[in-house]
Amino acid sequence: MITAEKISSTDKLVSDFEAVKKTLPGNSFVQSIRQKAIESFSALGIPARENEEYKYSNVQKLFSEAVTLSVVEMTLSKISIDKYLIPNLDAHIIVLINGFLSEELSLLKNLEKSVVVSSLQKAFEKHSEFIERHFSTCADINSDAFIALNTAYASDGVFINVPDNTVVEKPIHIINIIAAKESTFFFPRNLFVVGKSAQVQLVETFETHDLPVKAISTSVTEIAINENAKVQYYRLQNDCGNGQQINTVSASQQKNSHFDTNTVTLSGGWVRNNLNIALNGENCESHLNGLFITSDTQHVDNHTLVDHRKPHCESNQTYKGILDGKSTGIFNGKIFVQRDAQKTNAYQSSKNILLSDDATINAKPQLEIYADDVKCSHGSSTGKIDEDALFYLRARGLGIESARKLLLHAFVNDVMQTIRINALRDYLETLIHKKLGE
Amino acid sequence: MAEQNDILEEHISSEYKYGFSSDIETETAPPGLSEDIVRFISAKKNEPKWMLDYRLKAYRHWQTMEEPRHWPLLKYPEINFQNIIYYAAPKQKPELKDLSEVDPELLATFEKLGISLEEQKRLTGVQSNIAIDAVIDSVSVKTTFKEVLAEKGIIFCSFSEAVQEHPELIKKYMGSVVPYTDNFYAALNAAVFSDGSFCYIPKGVRCPMELSTYFRINTSGTGQFERTLIVADEGSYVSYLEGCTAPMRDENQLHAAVVEIVSHKNAEVKYSTVQNWYPGDKNGKGGIYNFVTKRGICLEENSKISWTQVETGSSITWKYPSVILKGDNSVGEFYSVAVTNNYQQADTGTKMTHIGKNTRSTIISKGISAGHSNNSYRGLVRINKGAKNARNFSQCDSLLMSDKCGAHTFPYIEIKDKTAIVEHEATTSKIGEDQIFYCKQRGIDTEKAIGLIVNGYCKEVFNQLPMEFAVEAQKLLAVSLEGSVG
Repeated sequence: MITAEKISSTDKLVSDFEAVKKTLPGNSFVQSIRQKAIESFSALGIPARENEEYKYSNVQKLFSEAVTLSVVEMTLSKISIDKYLIPNLDAHIIVLINGFLSEELSLLKNLEKSVVVSSLQKAFEKHSEFIERHFSTCADINSDAFIALNTAYASDGVFINVPDNTVVEKPIHIINIIAAKESTFFFPRNLFVVGKSAQVQLVETFETHDLPVKAISTSVTEIAINENAKVQYYRLQNDCGNGQQINTVSASQQKNSHFDTNTVTLSGGWVRNNLNIALNGENCESHLNGLFITSDTQHVDNHTLVDHRKPHCESNQTYKGILDGKSTGIFNGKIFVQRDAQKTNAYQSSKNILLSDDATINAKPQLEIYADDVKCSHGSSTGKIDEDALFYLRARGLGIESARKLLLHAFVNDVMQTIRINALRDYLETLIHKKLGE
Repeated sequence: MAEQNDILEEHISSEYKYGFSSDIETETAPPGLSEDIVRFISAKKNEPKWMLDYRLKAYRHWQTMEEPRHWPLLKYPEINFQNIIYYAAPKQKPELKDLSEVDPELLATFEKLGISLEEQKRLTGVQSNIAIDAVIDSVSVKTTFKEVLAEKGIIFCSFSEAVQEHPELIKKYMGSVVPYTDNFYAALNAAVFSDGSFCYIPKGVRCPMELSTYFRINTSGTGQFERTLIVADEGSYVSYLEGCTAPMRDENQLHAAVVEIVSHKNAEVKYSTVQNWYPGDKNGKGGIYNFVTKRGICLEENSKISWTQVETGSSITWKYPSVILKGDNSVGEFYSVAVTNNYQQADTGTKMTHIGKNTRSTIISKGISAGHSNNSYRGLVRINKGAKNARNFSQCDSLLMSDKCGAHTFPYIEIKDKTAIVEHEATTSKIGEDQIFYCKQRGIDTEKAIGLIVNGYCKEVFNQLPMEFAVEAQKLLAVSLEGSVG
């Protein structure tokens, strides 16, 4: 069932909420958060170009076309997920179709017993103690219009709870599939809670299945990382050109925790990735790595915010982009060091290569620092393939194409090396090889 | 640490030495802004009709604009534009023939500022002297060395004089780099600017001396809106200096200036500023709101524009000296030291727009924050499509000297050409304790050690300043800052 409402403006989205709010899942606690969220969205509105955070991404244009709002699961003919699996990756599989958890397609054999995986809808009822403690705590509804919008409309997604002192042996692979016959607006919402001294590897892939029209997905993933926990989180975006995504990942780290994230965008029409990390305890470590290889008219916008709130933390960001065709790449990263966060080490680097005269790169690496005993730096460079290096390789008998490819592979190598799941890395290598070979 | 705090105390309390106000008879317009005031200013200046029309167009456009509030990292109360006096001029007899006719109070003011107009006059012919255009409360009061410069064909005079005597040049160049539609403060300036300097260097002339404008806000409740236009014709060279001070007052005064530079084929313009407006007291009361639009254009091939700025004053600084690199092989440079202390706020940087082929730009920015201040670098490097082989290097370092201040870096990098090479790097840190320790071990006390380290840190920028200014800049830095490590 789809509510056949056409969306075009902030007001429309706010009034539509009134119409559908009774059908949205969750108890009174969740409902009251939804209400606050829609009020916040109403105040923030769909960001205009004047909004510094959306300077290079025209979201209003995205909303200029009429789309249908989807808050209820769609019935689809059976999908085979085989082609979305990562070869040789031994993992627990969770499948989300249009943001709704499909138990039928998910495969959770031999998952550690204490680990909870459930749909968010079910979690609202069964795990209300976690929901009340963590839902809408990492992603601040007042900070961004799309967080607010998603929180208001959030219909389903996956809830994972890794209890204290639990190490999940195999990676958990979450496959997000978007399938729609008409222009649709989705609101997937995930919540991951990782307990004290727990460890987990999460892989999320974004795919499209039979999408002849444009779809917009504004997803929010909240990750609560408790003391001493270690989380690796990989995101691979490789959907067809009709997918339009505004993704937000908000993580909150407690004392001594460790969070590694990799965002790789190879395909997808219009992608905006917001990655917000709040370091709420001492001695935290965060590594944010990203890679985007774009072509045609792709638009990829990577936004990061690392909020250093406590002393002795370390954060490290490396983002690399290769842009071809008429594509646009954006890196907008911010290191925010609050007054208390003395002894912070924060580093940020954005490197890009332009392959075509019609491609555009906009980089905005930012430092906002209010503590004095810190070491923070950032660097950004953009250039073309080094002519000397190319000449060197050609003088040694490599054809221009292979030489170029070799240099581009070398360029992305340091991001690739941060991927610690071998099967995933191999899979990515083949995808990148294919992409660069085009 | 205790010792450091003492030094900190001592230096933060060091007084702003240009804080006196002079008792010069002035003529002021009533406060407030309307078409009538614009007409009043224009009539006062005896301006031709085209100039008045330009002002009115700008004023009408300004009314449709909004203050740039949302993007700079600056917090300040609402400015009531109807409370400001838009015209204040020292009363003076028209047509001064020699210095004896100048108001002696005025001369005394400039003596106190360390710029003796009389001295300058006497020094004619001596090497390395400076021609000065002195601007008090937005009216040019005296320009020195005019005759010497005229021999070479150089025009250096007040803006109002240029409107009367060289209307063809003003018409051609005014607003060509910073149109009145550019931004809120540029529009305001275009409507109410009262004076400023104009400088034209003819073809192939290398200006034999440094040209300089000295700005002084004196009257209470006034805003200063001056306009500077520098045109360097083919193959010429000029080095231009700008200095500014203001009395200490509890109120905030507005300064919204526009500087335009046009550099033709093979020409080079070097523009240096030591900005020392009154920064407010140590509780952040008073001080100048400095909203300035400065931009130069390298119009034709092989031209060069270089901005050097030392920003120590103003309670609020909003300033982005920019270069449009239109001609092939043109070069843009920006060297900046921005120091903020107490409750000062600075949001400053540059914009380099690459349009021509083989254009190069360099940005070196050094920010130093102390006390409760906030210091932001905000810069844009834009490589347009077709700007083949454009090259940019930016380095923005920030030094934090207390745990209550903020240092921020917001670079914007927009690249639309694959042959461009753009590098940006920035660091933020405090003065290394081991560096201070090293100096102390060798018998240099903490205070001197900090001075040494900070001066070393700013050296790349100070090296770009003309000698006279470099000395002043170093002293200024010492006054604003020294010992502020907490």
